[in-house]
Amino acid sequence: MLRFLQFINGSITSGGGGEESLYDIVLHHITDHPIEHGFIGEINKLFFDEKIFGIFDMRITKWVLMLWLTMALSLLVFIPLAMKIKKSSMGSKSRWVNFWEALIGFIHDEIVQPNFDHHYIKTAMPYFCGLFFFILFANFIGLVPGLATATGNLAVTGGLAILTFLGMVLIGTIKQGPLWIIKGIVPHGIPVFLFPLLWVIELIGLLIKPVVLTVRLFANMTAGHIVIIIFLYLSIMFHNYFVGIGSVTGSLMIYMLELLVSFIQAYIFASLSAMYIGASMHAH
Amino acid sequence: MDFLKEGLLKTDPGLFLWTIITFLVLLLILWKAAWKPIVEALDSRAERIRGDLSNADKSRQEAEQLLVKHKELMDRAKAEALEVIEKGRQEADKVRNEIIEKANRDSREIVDKAKNEIMRAKENALAEIKSEIVVISTEIASRLINKHLNPDDQKAFIEETMNKIKTVQ
Repeated sequence: MLRFLQFINGSITSGGGGEESLYDIVLHHITDHPIEHGFIGEINKLFFDEKIFGIFDMRITKWVLMLWLTMALSLLVFIPLAMKIKKSSMGSKSRWVNFWEALIGFIHDEIVQPNFDHHYIKTAMPYFCGLFFFILFANFIGLVPGLATATGNLAVTGGLAILTFLGMVLIGTIKQGPLWIIKGIVPHGIPVFLFPLLWVIELIGLLIKPVVLTVRLFANMTAGHIVIIIFLYLSIMFHNYFVGIGSVTGSLMIYMLELLVSFIQAYIFASLSAMYIGASMHAH
Repeated sequence: MDFLKEGLLKTDPGLFLWTIITFLVLLLILWKAAWKPIVEALDSRAERIRGDLSNADKSRQEAEQLLVKHKELMDRAKAEALEVIEKGRQEADKVRNEIIEKANRDSREIVDKAKNEIMRAKENALAEIKSEIVVISTEIASRLINKHLNPDDQKAFIEETMNKIKTVQ
């Protein structure tokens, strides 16, 4: 797709010459790069110059900063909120508190409750609240001009999905014993000769689940941003005010859509994680 | 797997690790500082609200029962009051009738007594008059006898006197 865009772009702007191609602009906006200047650049040079275990390049990148921004925002919102909620046991009158309470209630009712047993809800709530709001804040931070979408990167979504995968495996092993990986994932009541076949299929399904989570969030967050950038790029491409009106309007509409998608994708990621982890608590 | 090294699908192991570290640190902090207290507070509030609601329901039912009871009591009281009033009225009627009757009787008695008194007084008066007449006639007779009477005059006089007495009687 992008190669195709690059091809179109190349053929359109080849006459202009000297300008960055659309592909470069888009890629610059949606891919990560280590920070080399300023304070953080110094830190990178001092502490993270060598790769840990030969593969983990721990240099602080723009995306890492976005993750930290997300973390800071979460801490800033939820720690004072917890104090306020704790203080007013009869329910606060503040709209701010009630807004977050409604969202937490939404997580409780829509994500955790359908997938977990009654007495595990209290234990599961913190994880899924954290997951949901982390993704939600990361998505929204990505919509602020100048900042980047942390969740529009395979490494970030992969990291979150791996945690879900580990959750599934760990919970399955703890709740159903170590033999869970053999017996627990295959449905009961099937003929014996089908067992090996189904086990292989279910195992592949188990491994695919986190991959699907990874790709879905990444693709959704990236696609919207690419479309926004391309809409804006149209006006650069055509050097025309009327195209500018159209491109800004279109970009704005996609931006509105992205606001919605940000919420929906956070919900879907948390909801599917809850479904997967909840399912590994019982043999099915 | 070259597509994971460069370009759009670049998956940087460092960022992968950073994500996990950041998320877990955030999760741990918020677990202790935010989620647990929030979830507990919300749960306990929900529990209390549920309790309050069931209490309110119970109270409402009790109130309804009480209301029914009170209505019954009120009805009974009203009926009793009506009965009492009715009885009172009957009693009052009876007493009034008695009083009126008694008054009638008394008045009749008084009238009778008065009549008797009058009769007696009249009889007394007549008796007195009679005796007076006898005295007067005796006096008249004595006076007449004392005077010189011719027989005619005497006769006329006696007749006249007798007439007088008759009329008085």
